[in-house]
Amino acid sequence: MIKVSNLSFAYKKGGHPVLSGLNLEFDERSTAIIGQNGAGKTTFVKLLKGLLKPDDGQILIHHFDAKIKTAAEMARTIGLVFQNPNDQIFKRTVLEEVMFGPLNIKMDKHTAEKQAIKALKMVELDDKLEMNPHDLSLSEKKLLCIASVVAMDTDIVIFDEPTIAQDHYGKEKIRQIIQALKDQNKLVMTIIHDMDFVAENFERTIVFNEGRVLLDGDTRFVFSQKDILSKAKVEAPGITQLAEKLGIKNTILTVDEFIRH
Amino acid sequence: MKKIIVEGLKYKYPLSDTLALDDLSFEVNEGEFIGIIGKNSAGKSTLCQALVGLVPHFYKGAYGGKVIVDGLEVKSHSIADIALKVGMVFQNPFTQVTGSKMSVYEEIAFGLENIGLPRSEIIERTDYVLDLLKIEQVKDHNPFDLSGGQMQRMAIASIIAMKPDILVLDEPTSQLDPAGSEEVFSAIQNLSKQGITVILAEHKMEKVAQYCDRVLLLNDGKMVDLDSPAIVFSRKDLEDHGVRAPVFTRVCKALGVKKADSDDYPVTLEDAEKVLRGRML
Amino acid sequence: MKSISLYVERDSFIHDVDPITKLLYILFALLIPIILPTFTISFFCLGISILLLIVAKVIRKTVPVFSFVFLVLITVVIIQGLFKPENETVLFQIGPVAMYKEGLLYALTITLRVTNIVSSFLILVLTTKPSDLVETLVRKGMSPRIGYVIVSVFQIIPEMMSSMGTIMDAQRARGMETEGNLFVRVKAFVPLLGPVILGALINTKERAMALEVRGFNSRTPKTYLYEEKKYTHSKLIQSAMLFLVVGAVAWRIFV
Repeated sequence: MIKVSNLSFAYKKGGHPVLSGLNLEFDERSTAIIGQNGAGKTTFVKLLKGLLKPDDGQILIHHFDAKIKTAAEMARTIGLVFQNPNDQIFKRTVLEEVMFGPLNIKMDKHTAEKQAIKALKMVELDDKLEMNPHDLSLSEKKLLCIASVVAMDTDIVIFDEPTIAQDHYGKEKIRQIIQALKDQNKLVMTIIHDMDFVAENFERTIVFNEGRVLLDGDTRFVFSQKDILSKAKVEAPGITQLAEKLGIKNTILTVDEFIRH
Repeated sequence: MKKIIVEGLKYKYPLSDTLALDDLSFEVNEGEFIGIIGKNSAGKSTLCQALVGLVPHFYKGAYGGKVIVDGLEVKSHSIADIALKVGMVFQNPFTQVTGSKMSVYEEIAFGLENIGLPRSEIIERTDYVLDLLKIEQVKDHNPFDLSGGQMQRMAIASIIAMKPDILVLDEPTSQLDPAGSEEVFSAIQNLSKQGITVILAEHKMEKVAQYCDRVLLLNDGKMVDLDSPAIVFSRKDLEDHGVRAPVFTRVCKALGVKKADSDDYPVTLEDAEKVLRGRML
Repeated sequence: MKSISLYVERDSFIHDVDPITKLLYILFALLIPIILPTFTISFFCLGISILLLIVAKVIRKTVPVFSFVFLVLITVVIIQGLFKPENETVLFQIGPVAMYKEGLLYALTITLRVTNIVSSFLILVLTTKPSDLVETLVRKGMSPRIGYVIVSVFQIIPEMMSSMGTIMDAQRARGMETEGNLFVRVKAFVPLLGPVILGALINTKERAMALEVRGFNSRTPKTYLYEEKKYTHSKLIQSAMLFLVVGAVAWRIFV
């Protein structure tokens, strides 16, 4: 679905490159991108979304060159849920807010409304259509932003730190949404720091460090590489570490796997 | 004397219909490390703010009951006075930077200037906390140029420099990457070892289990439990209160494996390893 | 994060003069041409200000400011030269368009006054760190809270501008076009206003809480990390300016 070749980018011309010579390909496997802050994860995602243009190299999304399209044009294919809902919400009702995206990508009003309501059902906010978005709690606002992007029915959905400051119930809802998107054969990607969440929900994991890819592969494989993980200042999920300490040969990713062993 | 005494604390925000804090009563000993857990909107942040006086003095609202920190009653003292006894670190590293100083050194001295300390004392305390929080090497940098972890350590340093005996932290690592998180937890543990009473509101249960002496579980503004991590996390009704136990506890609960001579489950990596290893042999 | 102050670090006599004296200088440069409204005096004052800027080694930094000011002033010159009601004497003509002496002289007066004020301001702004200015004022008795507000503006505005970039990205990500003709760009502004203002309000509230727990509202008298800065010849310069002002008033009355 996405092919990245030799991608390089620096924020200042001639300055230190944030990304250098990146080569990656994405199919429909759900993918988590992990690594320290400053490793280039957010920059990479912004380049995919067309919010930044590469200095060098190429990004092909469904065989379209991302360089020649504006970010708004790309919004039809690839959606990005930002970290801070307050950076985004500006309409007066929940329904209008979720319809903003679909209307921008030129859906007709009727379809846009249908899509919006469908998305709001998915995040369980469909009983609050006429509420002012700012009257929602922070968790609900985050779900609203997810709905705003899901309503645009893009093939690719990227989440930026969806689980920050979420409690257990919030994370459950996000887990369900990601599963629903996976069931629709969409490519789901996320930047995230919560390793337990990654192990339980994402098939593929890419480790970024200092603008380069340190590890890329099945989540199970990636979390078994202790030395490389520590180089990127990242730790495997708690359950994986426990299993390893107890001498279990396979890399364990979830509590259930551990029990079955 | 108890370091913190909370008696019948009730609080309602000005525009709200429900009590954010509903009849809380507990005591904290000097040097204890208390973790506050609970689902979002259970009252964790509100309780933290009630310990430093932001509730009620900043928010106004309806306030009942008593909070006494190090002998000072919160209701009848200004936040600036309470700041000498209790310090608070917030979630967002950026909004804790004053924006009025050009170097980390000056930023830390800011609070000390406010409370009117003599110059030599300001310099001595600032040097001390720079070293303690391991941010000596960035002391001349612009505060906004630091990483998230460094910014939070600077915030902690600025508060500790005011020499409170109690430190309250409201989800200080939620916006940090794993490395930054580790830096902050390690700094907090260091302070706890030096005798500072620490109150930490957190979602990362594994960390709470690892560092805290006692855990306070809140739900709907009410206190559900205040006890050792082992006891609180072994509760059967944990998920009813919107909280999930540390992964190690969940595993052991599912396998029915308890700690030796105890009715509780292990809550840390080390304890779980010990117990399960025994079972596997 | 950069500060938006215009301060330029240089090693000069002007930099060592205390901020209050420079503030008084602005007043001085304003008063003298009003007391003695001749062209000679105005040119003289402007000359002094420019000389001071050269001594402070910051004259090059004034070019962008002066260019902008002159651009505006040219429109004044043209309009006054052509259309001032009292215009009678023609100075020169370009085809059907005539420039009148009265209008041009009036425009010259305005030009001189504006340039005078701007250059005296530049002396203050280019050679004084905002924090030094505020600290001097606070030491003299201004409320430290107001001092904080003034100084923090210089660093917080750049921070707000970068958050505006994030907000713009969030809306572009939802398909809002920002590249294109003027109409498109203006339309793109609307979804920014709400989040930017809300973001600023939330940040201000969080910052206020953080300041409270750092003893911001303490009633204890404030102390200072640094020794009070020693400035050169403040009394001398201020006395000289006062003397000249009195002299100017005397001249006006008796001459």
